[in-house]
Amino acid sequence: MTLAWRRLGQSPWLFAGPAVAAAIAFVWLPMVSTLALSFFDWSLLRHEATWRGLDHYRGTLANPDFHLALANTGLYLAALLPLQVGVPLVLAFALARVRAKTAGRLYRTALFAPSVLSFPVAAVVWLWLFNPTVGFLNTLTGSLGVPPQRWLSDPDLAIWSVIAVTFWKSFGLNLLIFLAALANVPADVTEAARIDGAGPFRQAVDIELPLISPALFFAVVTTIIIVLDEIVGAVDVLTEGGPYRTSSNLLYFLYERGFRHFQFGEAAAVAMLIAVLVAGVTWAQFRFGERHVHYD
Amino acid sequence: MSRAVSRRRFTLAAAALAAPVVLPRASLGDDVKVDLVHTFSGADHPVQRVIRAFNDKASGVTVVSRQDGTTYEAITQKAMSSIAAGRGPSLMTTGWKLGDFARRTLGAQDFRQIFGAERTEALLAKFRPQVRPLAAIGGVPIGLPWSMSTPVVYINQTLWTAAGLDPAAEPMTMEELYPMVRQLQERTGKQGLCYEVNEWLSQSFIQNAGGDVIDADGKPVMDSPAAVKGIEAFVQPRRDNLWRVMTIPEMLAAFQAGAIGAMATSSARQSGVRQAASFDLRLIQMPGLAGHPRRMNSGGNFLAVYSKVKEQQEGAYKFLEFLTSREAFEIWLATGYLNVTTNDIPIRPGNEAAQAQMEGGLTSETVWPGARGLEALTVHIDWITKIVNGAVPVADGLRGSREAVEKLVAA
Repeated sequence: MTLAWRRLGQSPWLFAGPAVAAAIAFVWLPMVSTLALSFFDWSLLRHEATWRGLDHYRGTLANPDFHLALANTGLYLAALLPLQVGVPLVLAFALARVRAKTAGRLYRTALFAPSVLSFPVAAVVWLWLFNPTVGFLNTLTGSLGVPPQRWLSDPDLAIWSVIAVTFWKSFGLNLLIFLAALANVPADVTEAARIDGAGPFRQAVDIELPLISPALFFAVVTTIIIVLDEIVGAVDVLTEGGPYRTSSNLLYFLYERGFRHFQFGEAAAVAMLIAVLVAGVTWAQFRFGERHVHYD
Repeated sequence: MSRAVSRRRFTLAAAALAAPVVLPRASLGDDVKVDLVHTFSGADHPVQRVIRAFNDKASGVTVVSRQDGTTYEAITQKAMSSIAAGRGPSLMTTGWKLGDFARRTLGAQDFRQIFGAERTEALLAKFRPQVRPLAAIGGVPIGLPWSMSTPVVYINQTLWTAAGLDPAAEPMTMEELYPMVRQLQERTGKQGLCYEVNEWLSQSFIQNAGGDVIDADGKPVMDSPAAVKGIEAFVQPRRDNLWRVMTIPEMLAAFQAGAIGAMATSSARQSGVRQAASFDLRLIQMPGLAGHPRRMNSGGNFLAVYSKVKEQQEGAYKFLEFLTSREAFEIWLATGYLNVTTNDIPIRPGNEAAQAQMEGGLTSETVWPGARGLEALTVHIDWITKIVNGAVPVADGLRGSREAVEKLVAA
């Protein structure tokens, strides 16, 4: 081995190089290109660009559909964050206390199963369940005397139907994270609490919850990303953002601008606005959320 | 432990690995390869059978089927990327509503420029006279109008007769149809009627009342008094509780399950609906509006040539020529699309109403003009949906649509 090669081999760049190159190629360059694109009208086919300055930003911020998508994103977040974190947390505490191994495995499999289904497959089932005329949900509510609902085509209901399906589809992942975290809580700590007279509720709230707080924080961060990002699949398959944009969200708005209307400059401006928003939310999470996390 | 690999074994292994890559190309030989991008699923779909029939003729052109999505928008997105990368499709099924976009942005070729005026004329001469003008977008012939449909009413004949209605009744106006579906709903307890909520079906109501969505000069006129009258007739069954508004997939599922008496949608859905339905199905022409001449619209897609390579363009011409033949159209009509050619082919059972409607003359589907035409289309659908849901009065909604579309068309 030559001296130069040995020197190179010791260089941290050799190890970090591939990752840095990938980050530059697939993250930073696209981001810079997107930022540049947002100031132009650009034709993908003719490779012509017309300078538009801040027009796309002004246009987007003044667009009522953008306001609706922003408000819907807030509603999705407000509804899904407590559901996606709270319900799996409670279920995880309950499942961790199931003594019978077979029953425990059965529950875990059943609860996690929706997470491994693809949205298009799940949507076929849900489209049938939601059908206003022959769907199971209206049959069920009808037996309780509730008039039939238009779950996906009623502007007041569509967003809640998407929320319900997203919750059903995604909560299993957080359940898995919480179960893994609870399995790592030292038995001697809970045992000591039990000897000191703490009941199951006190044990869960005062002992186990602080000990799994890193997992809880991770779940909150990833859930926000899922709500901002992955919900697009559910929106597209179930409602296509309708009726009249009432179930759309920011990312679906971006998708429509870029890939339905082929307005790439405008879509780039929307992408930059979303990036700023996500950066702000993530900063707030770390600034205000992480102080409650115990890593010891 | 090491084991020597003989030259013979190495060569055999290398050949085995290379075979899947090399053989398909070898099987194409020196043929010109023409790829056809479309939206039709299924290994035995008529599009696959038409392609097989053409390729079996060994004309020196091999057509390769590429289903890149299930909607016109989806395949257009992918086509854009591949055109930008210099590997655009030779031929692509293009929705009529995307016609202007295809011509201005995607670069769909003017047939007269790539085939010459005489050969273009010869190709289009195989289509019925009333269809030929529809093949041109903005006066430019950029497509072969092989997949043409029109709105019709699908009737659940089992429910229809159970409701005591005349089994052969063919209401020709909405004013005749609505009392019939009311009777069906009251007697059977099933939902009487369902319309698809989009820009296309609503266009037929606007036109049948004497209006237009966009006039011949490309000006949005969807809020004219005639258009308002047409949309009032469109939403009337919703007001009368004869129509529970739902999405198109929901409507199809409910109708096929026998839960809806009558459904208005594209004639091209016929084969799928017939396969799924377990009741007697009858199709009737889309009723017009009393006191107005019938003016039904067409829909579907055309085949446009996107290749800029002369050899592929010539290959595409051979295929397009074959598509207009009796042999190809006999296969193609199994889709439920109309026989728009001059070929004398017996009408397939179930296609009679749509075919008769075409004979009466069809207008084109609205082609959304301008660089922001596709956005204008979305905006118009949103306003129509608001109107149908009762969120806004008809006149206000159509005015809202016209104002928004005007801005986008002018942009």
